[in-house]
Amino acid sequence: MTDAPLSPAADSAALSWKAYAALVLTILFFSGAFADAPGALRCLDFSLLSGSFGRIAEEFTFLGRGGSGARYGFLFALSLVPGIMPALSVVEAAERMDALRAGQKLLTPLMRPLLGLPGSAALALISSLQSSDAGAAMTRSLADQGLITEKEKNLFAAFQFCSASSVTVYLSMGTALFPFLSVPHLLPLGVILFYKVAGTNLMRLYLHLVEKKELRHVP
Amino acid sequence: MSHSLYAAFVDGAVKGWKVATQNMLPNVVLAFAFISLLQTSGLLDAVGRLCAPVMNLFGLPGESVTVLISTWFSAGGGVGAAAGLYSHGIMNADHVSIIMPAIFLMGAQIQYAGRILGVAGVSPRHYPALYAIGLLNSALAMLTMKLFFV
Repeated sequence: MTDAPLSPAADSAALSWKAYAALVLTILFFSGAFADAPGALRCLDFSLLSGSFGRIAEEFTFLGRGGSGARYGFLFALSLVPGIMPALSVVEAAERMDALRAGQKLLTPLMRPLLGLPGSAALALISSLQSSDAGAAMTRSLADQGLITEKEKNLFAAFQFCSASSVTVYLSMGTALFPFLSVPHLLPLGVILFYKVAGTNLMRLYLHLVEKKELRHVP
Repeated sequence: MSHSLYAAFVDGAVKGWKVATQNMLPNVVLAFAFISLLQTSGLLDAVGRLCAPVMNLFGLPGESVTVLISTWFSAGGGVGAAAGLYSHGIMNADHVSIIMPAIFLMGAQIQYAGRILGVAGVSPRHYPALYAIGLLNSALAMLTMKLFFV
């Protein structure tokens, strides 16, 4: 992913309720919460919008049955493309409606207790969930500007290194496995985000131990 | 719908097309071919038997270790390997659900060392710890899926 990072300049502008609504709606859209919703509400469900292929001979999709190897892999991969396109469409539209900045606002007060990072890193953190390259570049510039310390930079890198661009990768590559899951589609993403935070705190402990050891070696 | 919002939807779809055709599809095609190769040569069986004791701890068949190995190089490869094993009937829906978070938590560490740690300027002496945390996270996430959700 090489999309441009969110502009830090826009940070101070007030957020409208629409941004929060977009954030909540996007999460609900992918969560499958509307999958069995009554009536028109179902149109807010991702699986409904990505649709299904017609059946061939009333039984099979164009993947057929009994295929194998690269040829089968190709058709399988091709069958995933129409799912990935609307998924990233919605993510892009949510971003355009400031949903990522709404996420950033909600996250800022949690940064220090949860991750040991200053609130000013919230924007880079949200961006890193969408684009690892944007996140890494923003981390570098935060460090260069002295907004985060060397230790905080390493901590932040640990967060980003584990499941990089989590949301985008999960909603593109991950959709390939959605049909084979026995749990709600977004549940594994929740587990991923939980362990990203846990891993960052493990890194916090590691850096603390390294620091202690280095202090002991200074005469 | 405003013009710019519509444009955003289209931009996103274009991005989806690019990711799908340039990142996902080649990885999946190669993973399917590779799984066929492993299976026909008997290597998949051998690897499966060898790794069964460890993978069984997570409620997974031994062969699923190929998913973890592939994903370490690229998440697309890991996804492809899982789909391939599923289509061969070696993994079932519960297995895929258990391994799903691990595919991403340890995904593409090789690539991201350069793209994230290198760009952010992390000292290479911390790399081993960062790799280890990713692997540990994957193991814990698989156990979490197995014990609480599947």
